[in-house]
Amino acid sequence: MRNKILIFFIIGLIIYVIDIGFNSDNNLNEIYISDSELTNLLLTWKSQVGREPTAIEATNIINNLVEEEILYREALKLGLDNEDRIIKRRLAQKITFLKQETLLKQPSDEVLRSFYNLNKNKYFVQPLYSFTHLYFSKGPDSKKRADKALKELIQNKTPNNSDPFLLGKEFYKNSTDEIIRNFGKSFENVFNKLILDQWSGPYESSYGHHLIFLNSRKDGFNPDWIEIKNQVLNDYFLQSKEDAIKKYLEEIKSEYKVVIDPNFKY
Amino acid sequence: MKSSKSFIGLIVVSTIFFIYASGVYKNLQSDSALEVVDFSIDGAKTDPASIKSNLDRSPYYGDLHVHTKYSFDAYVFGTTNSPHDAYRYATGDGITHPLGYEMKLKEPLDFYAVTDHGFYLGMVENYADTSSKQSKQPWSKPFHNINRPENLIVESVGQRSDIFSSVLRQTILQPYPYWHPKTIKAWFTKNIQLALKSFDYEVHKSAWSDVARAAEEFNNPGKFTTFIGYEFTSSTLVEGGNLHRNVIFNSAKAPIRPWTRIDSLNPEHLWTWMDGLRDRGVDSLAMPHNSNGSNGQMFEGETFKGGPIDIEYASKRMRNEPVVEITQVKGTSDTHPMLSPDDEWADFGIMDYRVGSRPPTYSKTQGSYVRDAYLTGLTLEWKRQGNPYKFGLIGSSDTHTGAGSFDESNYWSKVSLLDGTAQGRGTVPLSDERIKLMKEYTKEYNQPLSLLETEDGTYASVGFEQWGASGLAVAWAEKNTRDSIFKAFKRKETFATTGTRIAVRFFAGYDMQSINLNSESMVRDAYVKGVTMGSDLGEQENKIPEFIVWAQRDKNGAPLQRVQIIKGWIEKASGTPHEKVYDVACSDSLDVDPITNRCPDNGARVNINNCSISSNVGATELKSIWADPDFDSNTKAFYYVRVLENPTCRWSTWDAVKAGVKPRPNIHKTIQERAWTSPIWYIPKDDPLDIVPL
Repeated sequence: MRNKILIFFIIGLIIYVIDIGFNSDNNLNEIYISDSELTNLLLTWKSQVGREPTAIEATNIINNLVEEEILYREALKLGLDNEDRIIKRRLAQKITFLKQETLLKQPSDEVLRSFYNLNKNKYFVQPLYSFTHLYFSKGPDSKKRADKALKELIQNKTPNNSDPFLLGKEFYKNSTDEIIRNFGKSFENVFNKLILDQWSGPYESSYGHHLIFLNSRKDGFNPDWIEIKNQVLNDYFLQSKEDAIKKYLEEIKSEYKVVIDPNFKY
Repeated sequence: MKSSKSFIGLIVVSTIFFIYASGVYKNLQSDSALEVVDFSIDGAKTDPASIKSNLDRSPYYGDLHVHTKYSFDAYVFGTTNSPHDAYRYATGDGITHPLGYEMKLKEPLDFYAVTDHGFYLGMVENYADTSSKQSKQPWSKPFHNINRPENLIVESVGQRSDIFSSVLRQTILQPYPYWHPKTIKAWFTKNIQLALKSFDYEVHKSAWSDVARAAEEFNNPGKFTTFIGYEFTSSTLVEGGNLHRNVIFNSAKAPIRPWTRIDSLNPEHLWTWMDGLRDRGVDSLAMPHNSNGSNGQMFEGETFKGGPIDIEYASKRMRNEPVVEITQVKGTSDTHPMLSPDDEWADFGIMDYRVGSRPPTYSKTQGSYVRDAYLTGLTLEWKRQGNPYKFGLIGSSDTHTGAGSFDESNYWSKVSLLDGTAQGRGTVPLSDERIKLMKEYTKEYNQPLSLLETEDGTYASVGFEQWGASGLAVAWAEKNTRDSIFKAFKRKETFATTGTRIAVRFFAGYDMQSINLNSESMVRDAYVKGVTMGSDLGEQENKIPEFIVWAQRDKNGAPLQRVQIIKGWIEKASGTPHEKVYDVACSDSLDVDPITNRCPDNGARVNINNCSISSNVGATELKSIWADPDFDSNTKAFYYVRVLENPTCRWSTWDAVKAGVKPRPNIHKTIQERAWTSPIWYIPKDDPLDIVPL
């Protein structure tokens, strides 16, 4: 019984070895060109030139292909593909595309929603402020003038010592980013502390001093993900592509040992 | 006898057939360039109509001249950034320079237009991709893989310059024979490029639709505006005078392909095409740039073909080209010291060679600068030929990296690998290796060796040292939407800056003294009582025009030093042109000297060892009401504003400071950043003079 198994095993091994021997020879010296490859080639020629190739032209086209294939194989035999950065890059690019393509399936709403929830911060809509301001053009007394005006405002008087501001007096639904662009970085943290319907200040900008009256505030919020589904979907695809390559690299990296000269100096 | 009769009959019949057939052909011919495509994309966008308007208008800052990898030259220079990357940059994201460093704005922009060269758009990237059909052709070989990461190195600049100046030309000039189906198709669809072997229409169209799609994706009414656009890169036939223009469209609808120099070199044909599109509901405008390097051809006294300018030409040009780029990376085109010897600020951003010429070739000054063009326009109008040069002003960058370089202290110039390092730009002495490299490739490509030998070392001197960290286009618009900003360009309510975010208002009228400069309603009153930049001011009997100027500094830049009004006029009797610069507001409570029309020195200085500037000198804002002391009611004139900041380090000095070397001799160490408004034209009542040419 044991012997029989051993014999089968040995016969199997012999067949395997013979098969490898034959096949490897076949593989290297047999050039197989499929019908569809030929059709494709001749069609391209036709679309470029505008007519069917003659028999001689067709033969030439096919011969060229065959010769190219032979040269390619000989080059492989000589190992010319090794250490060629262009070939490496091209292959790396091809496998990248391959790995990314496989993931371009339409995700379910469930998947999208959880993607949205994971990246909520990215979709947060900034708070918006509508306000009026009084401006006191930069100078040694601009703060003093602003203080005086604020006192008058508190006493329900209308101050008349403010200056016109080039960008205007009323600002409508400005986000913090827009406020920074209009007044400078020093205004970044002014508005989240303001109280509605009340004058306060003075706040110093790059242009001088300001008193601010906050007319309305629209709080920041996370939009319903369905409303921005398109955007979420695009981001999801983008992320999936990046993840696919990362994951693939993670899986495969462990199979490699990377050696770099530890003494390399730049 | 019989046979010769039938022979004649055959000729007659075939002639008739030929005439008939060509008639049919003519009818079959379609104009592919006038086909309109809707590039709009799905997705929830804010309705522009729902955004609140500011009736006093706000200044919106942008760049309308940006190249990406789709431009034939940008790709050759190493740029792989896409239109999407360019728009990401404009909205505040950092993107990568081909040399690996990050390019990021200090402050995002309000609008942006990617304007790749329409000519051969997308083709060079396609040659370089070794899997493409075109790459199999012999002419593609020099381009193969040029922008693979391992090839993005400074050592490749010689080869790249050569591709730019000679290989490209050989590549494109390979037409199919006249009988070829592609040639016939080219004729049928009025699309000459189809007859060129090195051209692939599908690749071209897909690049163009990617440009358009990126614009549509990033257009965000109320927050950020984009325009579908491209550059029409034409030049004069003999002298290589640059006639480049950027074209932008005011809608998601745009032509199926850009109209390019292959269709025609003549800008008049571009305007005909734009007029044709306008009839089909697609409005557009073209913006000439780099007139400084046009060898006097941009603002000539005659047409492209050398014919006389007439009223029809003038109105066609102004209908299509309401604004001109006065400043950009390749220099500033306000004026030249030779044209304006009495303007102490004329020697600014001078780039005095023809665009793209190799070796750099001198560009004639007359006809190359906007102030001179305004004067030429007045003289032409005086001769009853119409005024084709009544344009407003914008700036833009012309970057070829996707990212405009506006900051003197963080400058990467324009052409990617060629000028992405201080050594390449000629501001830091070259290493021995690079000197050797330069010598080798200038010899190999038969170019003169441009090196400057000094005590402190040897500098590259190929012209990059004349370039600048400039500029921006600014539109006074009711809101940040495509339509609102486009309309501002059309009415020329625009100004240009050298990259700084100065804001400036400018009004003219006859009752302006009644407006209180310190009142909150000042702007509203000025709009009601006067006209603003880009407009005409008519004559009012026995009255002198008064001008209101109001400028505000860039909060991240240097304070303001002075505001000037530049006046140009022609003598009524002879049409002879004149110009004069008036200071109208000075910083630090200084007064304009009424004799010299100049502000006294405000004492602002720069330390060129570390680029620090004087503190507590200069103004946050400057405003003034000014009446022209030399006003003559019968004389045609134009007035535009120039705002000057205190001096700061030029980018070249920053390069030297960062490298720890002395600034290079023979170039300016400091600059005064500035802004220019569109002019206001004073139009006297018509005086029917008879102008009789000899």
